[in-house]
Amino acid sequence: MKKIILLSLLLGWIILPLAAQTKIEFKEFTLDNGLHVIMHQDNTTPIVVTSVLYHVGSKNENPERTGFAHFFEHLMFEGSENIDRGQYMNIIQSRGGTLNAYTSNDITYYYELLPSNELDLALYMESERMLHSKVDMTGVETQREVVKEERRQRYENQPYGTILPETLKRAYTTHPYQWAPIGSMDHLNAATIEEFQQFYKDFYVPNNATLTIAGDLDYAKTEAMVRKYFSEIPKGTKPVYRPKITEPKKTAEVRDIIYDNIQIPAVIQAYNLPARNHPDSYALSMLSTYLTGGKSSLMTKELVDKQQKALVVAAIPLELEDGGVFLMYGIANMGVDPKDLETEVDKLIKQVQDQGISDEEFTKLKNIMENNIVSGNSTVAGVAENLAEAKVIFGNTNYVNQVMDAYSKVTKEDIQRVAKTYMDLTGRVVLYYLPKSAKPVSE
Amino acid sequence: MKKFALGILVMLLATGITFAQVDRSKLPASGPAPEIKIGEAETFTLANGLKVFVVKNTKLPRVSFTLVFERDPILEGDKAGLTTFIGDMMMGGTKNRTKDQLDQEIDFIGASLSASATSVSVSSLKKHQGKVLELMADVLFNPVFPQPELDKLKKQSLTGLATTKDDPQAISSRLSRAVLYGKNHPYGESQTEQTTKNITLDDVKAYYQTYFKPNIAYLAIVGDIDKAEAQKVVNQYFGAWKKGVVPTFTYPMPVRAAKQAVALVDRSSSVQSVIDVTQPVAMKIGDADYISSRLLNQILGGGSASRLFMNLREDKGFTYGAYSSIDADKLVGTISASASVRSEVTDSAVYEFVYEIKNLVDKGVTQEELDKAKAELAGSFGRSLEQPGTVANFALNTARYNLPKDYYATYLQKLNAYTVADINATAKRLIEPDKFIITTVGNGAEIKEKLAQFGEVVEYDIMGEPAKQLVAEADMTAEKVLENYLNAIGGATQVAAIQTAKISMDANVMGTALTIAFVYDSQNGRYGQKLSIAGNVMQKTTLANGKGSMSVQGNSMEMTPAQLAEAQLNSYLFPEAVYKANGYTVTLDGLKDVDGKPAYKVVIATASGAKLTNYYAQDSGLKIKYENPASGDTYYGDYQAKNGVLLPMSWTIKSPQIPVPLEAKVTSLELNVPVTEGDIN
Repeated sequence: MKKIILLSLLLGWIILPLAAQTKIEFKEFTLDNGLHVIMHQDNTTPIVVTSVLYHVGSKNENPERTGFAHFFEHLMFEGSENIDRGQYMNIIQSRGGTLNAYTSNDITYYYELLPSNELDLALYMESERMLHSKVDMTGVETQREVVKEERRQRYENQPYGTILPETLKRAYTTHPYQWAPIGSMDHLNAATIEEFQQFYKDFYVPNNATLTIAGDLDYAKTEAMVRKYFSEIPKGTKPVYRPKITEPKKTAEVRDIIYDNIQIPAVIQAYNLPARNHPDSYALSMLSTYLTGGKSSLMTKELVDKQQKALVVAAIPLELEDGGVFLMYGIANMGVDPKDLETEVDKLIKQVQDQGISDEEFTKLKNIMENNIVSGNSTVAGVAENLAEAKVIFGNTNYVNQVMDAYSKVTKEDIQRVAKTYMDLTGRVVLYYLPKSAKPVSE
Repeated sequence: MKKFALGILVMLLATGITFAQVDRSKLPASGPAPEIKIGEAETFTLANGLKVFVVKNTKLPRVSFTLVFERDPILEGDKAGLTTFIGDMMMGGTKNRTKDQLDQEIDFIGASLSASATSVSVSSLKKHQGKVLELMADVLFNPVFPQPELDKLKKQSLTGLATTKDDPQAISSRLSRAVLYGKNHPYGESQTEQTTKNITLDDVKAYYQTYFKPNIAYLAIVGDIDKAEAQKVVNQYFGAWKKGVVPTFTYPMPVRAAKQAVALVDRSSSVQSVIDVTQPVAMKIGDADYISSRLLNQILGGGSASRLFMNLREDKGFTYGAYSSIDADKLVGTISASASVRSEVTDSAVYEFVYEIKNLVDKGVTQEELDKAKAELAGSFGRSLEQPGTVANFALNTARYNLPKDYYATYLQKLNAYTVADINATAKRLIEPDKFIITTVGNGAEIKEKLAQFGEVVEYDIMGEPAKQLVAEADMTAEKVLENYLNAIGGATQVAAIQTAKISMDANVMGTALTIAFVYDSQNGRYGQKLSIAGNVMQKTTLANGKGSMSVQGNSMEMTPAQLAEAQLNSYLFPEAVYKANGYTVTLDGLKDVDGKPAYKVVIATASGAKLTNYYAQDSGLKIKYENPASGDTYYGDYQAKNGVLLPMSWTIKSPQIPVPLEAKVTSLELNVPVTEGDIN
């Protein structure tokens, strides 16, 4: 039996390197006001996605006004001069569409997915948002309440919900990545209506936006419609603020305890990463899959199945434009000392650093990456997002067609090397999440 | 030529538009509705009866194979739950691969493989097609069904069942199914501890041998593969599969209630009521009213713009969400409108549900509502087509429900053709507003009387069985219950003779061994309790010298007077002997069902308002349950005589704080031994 498995593994090696990607065709142009437009035609289904990526995230915020970028994501559904308050979603839904948005440390992303005969509507709606969104006190007050509820539901009321803000706070001393997109409620409460209006003028301008349309479209007609709705939107009057701040390399480990509404302790480790478009990003992403991706990954097998010290372990590279963090967390099994779990995690990290990974595991990683990249382009919504990010973050829309090549170049040795280079125990952040009941009374 | 002219026209139009002033005051009109092209599935049938659908889609180099078995629903009876184990048992290892090898080989090619009682499916990149088919065939034809795997799954299932007993949603769903279909119907029966224990490896094997047959199977193949290749691989892997005779079953059609009625599960700890207003409906995909019932439901409670949502959430604020459904099913469908609401508005919410349903049937829908519902459903139909699997599902449904060949190709035309009158007629045909059962899971003491306005209220237990009609004897009092208890365990004199006790118990929670130790010293008003893991004290409570303290992982905290009063209520081995002396009030709150046993419910309250509840079995007089809002419920069992007094040797603690019920067994029990300061601390 063993022989058959070995043979199939050998066959597995023969199929390396990775197959070429299915090419994603696209057309792009830039309006005089600086709006960059990307179009991707896929007529297989009569639907079309329209998205706008604003290159503004929490890192562009004033340190005294954190949470603004995310707050705007809410505010931008309040309506515009021509769209009544609260009607934005209703209009899209009653034409058979769905919509959503998200905010990260780097970007804010809006999209609508509609039947393809509603492209005109989608472009109109997005142009209204960019031209003259409603930024008034009523909207600000309504959305403050909604954001408060969101904060409660996703951070305060959610076990381990504060991992990201607590980690970022310690992983960065100078870079604005030190606060999470949710920001500070105090800052939002203190802000004046003029400040909100200024933020809109500074960042919601065509020269800071990328409009992506993908699906059942006609290139010429779409371009004409885009020009019709977006040409009149004035360009921003000053350069968009982008922080040029280099986070200094940490020379000592940062270690802390967070007391949370939880029953079971968790151990968090975070290692600073290089910029998102750095060549090592690919090897780091494969490293995280090697450590915790799937039932048969190193840490899942060792710590969850065999030793049963952890209920769950996960390694997530939070890739950010100026360099994110490699975030690892383990939730301890009942009665396991977090220290004990951390020791075992460290042993496995050291094992990768000292011994690297086997040929078999390396082949498995390439197979998993290939499957993920192919699947990432299975919907027009996914393609639109990948195109917009390729342009904004990697400076090259055609990057969507080069991801697989980038992964193909990663070697087994690269994975060991990035484990050594970036998983540096002296510069990391370690947090213990402990139940509130364990908090010393004197604190 | 024509094409060229068209091109110029388009350019002219396009240019014209660019220079036109944009009228932003009006929403752009919809363009002409696009033609929805639904891909065709190619079909073929093997000699063994396996029907195959191939949906070629070369957009991505992926492929998936989904095998579905079409059999009649099974009444599992005393083996209820058997079918839930089949899928995991299929994945438990084969003649050629252990479970670990199987997991590794699936991960290795970045593929996925899953199984259930009526399906086996795989998906992967095209280039791994041969390998996933080999794995799929191995799982399908060579499962070994290891006994340890079944033991593990049964254990997990029992844990899951235990948690569903505390889950109001799960109780509600069991209740609705039981009252609509009855316990002798596949959709009405429920898995219990006993039916789970009854399941054997032979049952699993017999199920597999009976139902995993090609003549009742459909294989849907979707992705980068054409019919010719599909025929080749299907013959290679599934050609030798042998036919078999598969039993068929019929069941009588459930009848609706003669008139509106209420089914209640009394759950005294509930702060919310789960309401389900429901009736069965004969409805399957392809029926004349099927598509119009989608529109009808969308208007009643299909989303966040529906009547139910707007009324119960947006207008009244009773709930986070209220929804309805009209489920289609080959055997019998269900109409259901449901929400979880605050206890105090339970009757008001039921009133609104009843009103909305009746109003829908009596007054009908508006054109505006219908237009919006059409747009929403057409939009979601269109979006679903992006997934190639949707076309395979259409082909499957067309075969399973014997639909006209163009049923899905013309689905949108049919959807758009419905008029307000059509929808109103459908509502009248499908819904009988005065024949709904209103199932409610909530705090009976607070809601039962108020629900009587909606019809006869019949009580059920948490498993959906009719609750035993329990009425305490008219002359029974709380004092008598306590006296009976003291007599049952050995009499007041024997009890009074016990001055001190040291009890140690062992328990196991998800693989971790716990020790719980109690020390009672009633004469000196001292009490100590410790919870340890592997010899380390994790948590302890101490009462001594009129003071109390609690500590968790070494961090100690003084009790407040209120906490102290509550702790003192618990600090006696036989608190029943001292309730009166300590000035506590005791109240009898009727006869209740505790895990199938009738028991007197006695509420004990201190002067400061701290309360706890004990249950004493009607037959034996013994205390079988202790309820405390802070620490959860404790069940006592296995009473054994020590020093002439009966004491429980088994404690089961259920609490929202712990994921699974904690079962503790007494390992040592010493009575009237000296208690030192060190024992208490």
